[in-house]
Amino acid sequence: MTTMDSKTMERVLRQLLADRLRQEVPALDLDTDLVRELGLDSLARLQLLAAVEVRCGVRIPDRQLAGLHTLRQVISVIEGLKADGGHSNKES
Amino acid sequence: MKIGLIAMSGVRVRTRELAELGVTLPGFVNRGKVIASLPSLGLLTVAALTPPDVEVVYREIDEVRASDALESFDLVGISSFTAQIDEAYALADRYRAAGTPVVLGGLHVSLMPDEAAAHADAIVLNGAEGAWPRLVEDFRDGRMLPRYVGLKAGVFDAPNYVQPRFDLLRGRPYNRLTVQTSRGCPLNCEFCAASIRITSGFQQKPVEWVVSELKAARGVTEHPFFELADDNTFINKRWGKELLRAMTPLGLSWFTETDISVADDDELLGLLAESGCRQILVGLESPTEDGLSGMDPHDWKRRRCGQYLKAIEKIQAKGITVNGCFILGLDSQTPDVFPQVRDFIRQSGLLEAQLTVLTPFPGTPLYHRLKSEGRLLSARYWDRCTLFDVNFRPRSMSVDELEGGLRWLFSEVYNESEFIRRQRHYMELVKARMPAAEKP
Repeated sequence: MTTMDSKTMERVLRQLLADRLRQEVPALDLDTDLVRELGLDSLARLQLLAAVEVRCGVRIPDRQLAGLHTLRQVISVIEGLKADGGHSNKES
Repeated sequence: MKIGLIAMSGVRVRTRELAELGVTLPGFVNRGKVIASLPSLGLLTVAALTPPDVEVVYREIDEVRASDALESFDLVGISSFTAQIDEAYALADRYRAAGTPVVLGGLHVSLMPDEAAAHADAIVLNGAEGAWPRLVEDFRDGRMLPRYVGLKAGVFDAPNYVQPRFDLLRGRPYNRLTVQTSRGCPLNCEFCAASIRITSGFQQKPVEWVVSELKAARGVTEHPFFELADDNTFINKRWGKELLRAMTPLGLSWFTETDISVADDDELLGLLAESGCRQILVGLESPTEDGLSGMDPHDWKRRRCGQYLKAIEKIQAKGITVNGCFILGLDSQTPDVFPQVRDFIRQSGLLEAQLTVLTPFPGTPLYHRLKSEGRLLSARYWDRCTLFDVNFRPRSMSVDELEGGLRWLFSEVYNESEFIRRQRHYMELVKARMPAAEKP
């Protein structure tokens, strides 16, 4: 699992989101709903989560995928995985 | 003068057991909501064909239902698909009883003109192009005729083409906006009840007009997701590439319906991905060759069937998901088809699947054949033309087997664990094609 503190993770997630939106999102509230409020379509949301898994070296449990709609939720899940040391598909 | 244009939107399943399944199965509900929330491109075109000094009001049927009183207009135009036509007739009857003249148009009206004429002061057949401007002028002059015949050909030629009035959608909560790039389809499948029935040949809109419409439409709502409202968008690969190159700078996310041959052309697939195509709906119809025999005049789909799995994999590997559409109840399908479809969906990794019942929409070649074979379950079943209700006697299984098999297949395909499994499959495809630069 890639070692990454919360701030770095947030920066990485913002960049991955910006890549999908084709615009920077430096001031985006972490609780903004990516689909309902930001206009990310449902497939782009899955692409973002796939990119997060690769970039952070984790595998998000399948049962949690449907519930991830904000950057804060994504960060929380990844931090949980880091704490568990589980569901890793890559060693740091 | 004020004209009210009323769109009959929404899909309602009539078979109770399927309706009950529909409210609990995520795949079905999602697609149902998408269909229900599409605006009527036909009426937006009618609005654009209306002389500029006439006020036009666009209403969805839900807005009309919300009020007991009829909104006041000088003339009302109603467009409806078959499943909602009886409600459209009832609304037309109410307006006429209140003294407001009514015009009916759309696919069903074009295919069943005599039936529709009993509920209207005038009907418009085929496209509104070539008919509506004349009708409005005649109405103003007090000499509206009972029947106007619009164009079947040349609808995208300069004198006839108008850009739909997307501005009428401003402030409305649509999750998708539609733009049409073509009418008709060379495949001419027996069951098809789409624009091919009111169109001569296959007609494509000039690319610059499509782009102009996309720009106009994206201005009316935030973060629009587009649907190219065609029967088969990428039949013509050269035109398709020109269109995609023009769409790419717009930065859109979009969906369309096309056939499996897009997988033949690597350049086209690349352009689809670059232009923001998120998903294509492909009429696979049946997972086995025998189910596809005789479906289209050239047996094109049957000959393609053996390549389905590889083609789906190739398309989805580009990040474009495939929504595979299957038809249950085809003549050669036995009850074995239900597990075959489920297994095919699992094996193919389709992100989404649309499961429908063969539906003899009135006026189609399929309708005429089944009627002549005495296989229609009733003479008039329009409100059951939902794509999910059985209206005919299948050849190789009973009605009960078809209905029961469909319910079983719904529960096998549209459940949470299958939904998650398909999502995970898509994410793994995305990860596999991710550029090395995005990896840590």
